[in-house]
Amino acid sequence: MPLFDRFLFAFTIASHIILASVSIAIILVISIAEFLSLRRSDKYYSALSRRLSKVFVIIFGIGTASGVVMAVELVTLFPGFMTLVSETGAISILYAEIFAFFLETVALVMYVYYANYLSKYAHWVLSIFIAAGAMLSAVFITMANAWMNTPNGFDASVFIQSGHVTGIDVWAPFVTTSTFAEVAHVLPTVLFAGVMMVGGYFAWRYIKSKDIEEKKMLTNGLKIAASLGIVTIVLAIISGINEITTLLQLQPLKYSAIELNPTPGTDLPEKLFGGLTNGKIYGAIPIPHLQSLLVKLETGITTVPGLSQFPTSDWPPLYVHITFDTMVIGGLLLGLFFLAYLVDWAFLKRKPHESKLFLYSWIPLAYIALMIMELGWVTDEVGRQPWVVYNVMTGQQAANSTSGFLIPGILIIAFYVILLPITFYFFAWVFNSKSKPEEEEQNPKTANNMDMSY
Amino acid sequence: MNIIFELYFAVFAVFASLFITEIMSSILLLLSWKQASSKALEYIAPVWEVTGTFAAFLVVMGDFAFPSLLVPIASMFAPLLTVFLIFFIARNASLAFAEFIVKRKWLDEARLYRIYAASTLFLGIIVLILLSALVSGAGVNLSQQTFLLGTWLFSHGSLLFVVGTLCIIVGLAPALFSIDTMKNIVLPLTVTGIGVSVLAYYLYSSSFVSLLMLIPIPLTLLIGVLFVISKKTAAIVANKAVFITALSVTVFSLQFLVYPTAIGGQLHVDIVTTSGPMTSAYLTITAVGGALLAIMIGFYMSIAGRSKNSAPARGSKQRS
Repeated sequence: MPLFDRFLFAFTIASHIILASVSIAIILVISIAEFLSLRRSDKYYSALSRRLSKVFVIIFGIGTASGVVMAVELVTLFPGFMTLVSETGAISILYAEIFAFFLETVALVMYVYYANYLSKYAHWVLSIFIAAGAMLSAVFITMANAWMNTPNGFDASVFIQSGHVTGIDVWAPFVTTSTFAEVAHVLPTVLFAGVMMVGGYFAWRYIKSKDIEEKKMLTNGLKIAASLGIVTIVLAIISGINEITTLLQLQPLKYSAIELNPTPGTDLPEKLFGGLTNGKIYGAIPIPHLQSLLVKLETGITTVPGLSQFPTSDWPPLYVHITFDTMVIGGLLLGLFFLAYLVDWAFLKRKPHESKLFLYSWIPLAYIALMIMELGWVTDEVGRQPWVVYNVMTGQQAANSTSGFLIPGILIIAFYVILLPITFYFFAWVFNSKSKPEEEEQNPKTANNMDMSY
Repeated sequence: MNIIFELYFAVFAVFASLFITEIMSSILLLLSWKQASSKALEYIAPVWEVTGTFAAFLVVMGDFAFPSLLVPIASMFAPLLTVFLIFFIARNASLAFAEFIVKRKWLDEARLYRIYAASTLFLGIIVLILLSALVSGAGVNLSQQTFLLGTWLFSHGSLLFVVGTLCIIVGLAPALFSIDTMKNIVLPLTVTGIGVSVLAYYLYSSSFVSLLMLIPIPLTLLIGVLFVISKKTAAIVANKAVFITALSVTVFSLQFLVYPTAIGGQLHVDIVTTSGPMTSAYLTITAVGGALLAIMIGFYMSIAGRSKNSAPARGSKQRS
């Protein structure tokens, strides 16, 4: 069942990405809020960080499970791929990632369960360690993905001919030709999507709440989320431009597919949406000259590649053009939102965090941000098909040939379908709830720490 | 000596010890909620995240150490591992929710912790089935890359392996949490568990019953004996660091069950171990990462020690 296996893994990773991005965003917001509460002795920032730290424990627990599911599924569903990874230096990246994960875990345990035995600043420093561990994990995983796009550190031609891994350079996979571009783009976009989700929840809660004190806390949360959103969207746009030019040079077939170029050319339009049938474009909205102009400006390349330069058996599914365009347009929309936010906040000196227009806009935009992050991942992965490791190993070669995943696989999917909404509902519930009464009774000291007063 | 294997098995021993202590907590939560819940939950709260991280560590380290085993393992154990994953998600989700839930209709903290305990127990049984198959080769055909659960079930020693290990776990659980009211079951269950386990090993291969058993058997017995003879000695084994260290040494000393050959002699571990330049990468990252981990654990232990000197009992999760 290779198709089901792929779907199962895609489903798992799509779910995991959501948890990962939200958890990275939450821990950054916690860390910033805690720092501001210490510097300004601000009870609203303090309450915000305390409430979010409870949410973070839950998301960490679910995220760890989801991470282990992914690690095991990689072996059970794609043993051929994992064997190649494990026989080359690429495994070193995943191995290093585990230590980043440990950094996050141990720091979190101390941060959450031993808060009373740390000074305030030591407690805050631990939040930085947690954030560093979470972000390093994301960086390492992205490095492994970059290796899949531009594999190095072994003799690929020998492997293709014989299946044997030779000429190993164990450290080379840490720095492939696409690593910098990919990490530089993935990190801000993942963080951005998470920040949008967290900010979206704050906005929704602000609209709903009638409690003035809570609104003050949420306003502080929105300030942090908006600041992070502005910084990360700028980084995402700049790094996105760099990523597409890197793609053009390193993976011209993938570039041709996402730009839907049937043939190479020197004066190609930018095509919005549309499809390709019998070598002809249909349903696209062309912007004349734009693609060639952008490519020339960014890279100096005058001839833009096209699909006809490559055998059709190597073409990825061309719907990556749609996913890519949707991602770019969604990104631009979000960029415009934050441009308006910045103008309102910094130049017009108004309060966008309390403006109904911005608050109501933030909620759907949070979902759009999540969607474009997922679409970016789909574009990257599907755009590499039929290769799992570019020009080295196909999905068919990587997959497990045995059956037997169907029923347990469906159970895993069903579990996620039920668990994820419950988890997010529970986040909201925990964020808004008071301490457990028995904790307040038994341990007033801790109860004070968990107090949801402002 | 195969240093790659030794390091891997050392990490396995730590993971197994943490996991066994979680199974001990789970059994007590299921069997004796009133007596054990406060002590067991106080222990689980900070540890479960670390156990989960060790699980991920073990998977990736295994990928690194034994790359040529991945295809056979995937072919043989994929369905069982997938069931494992379902219980793993259930374990994490129920525990994460339990830490913060306030009673809502039928759902409360106790019920969620029981779901956690049941999931952990099922996970333990799946792990024991896998380990038994990896030791004995029961149900496993390595050349055809198949594993038949039915064949495993009716093979000599399979059930004894699981039952024996569970007896030891249940037997030593009161020692870990100093539950005096359960003192009477400690030695009988531990001794029975050791006897049944040794019989299982003997049925797997008579060569397993050798002088090498002189480390794990006395060490396991010692934990039980120390608990029952006096309050002073009971306090030694109730120290979690001491208990986990003793358990790790015990598990580590059982490596003769899978080295130099595993799966009932079908697999020569040295042959499937990574080699060449990958060895240096494995050792370098393990050394650097291990040092980092040791520093963090040291810091954690010092804070945990500080908290123990002044902390009230549970109910009192030191959460910010």
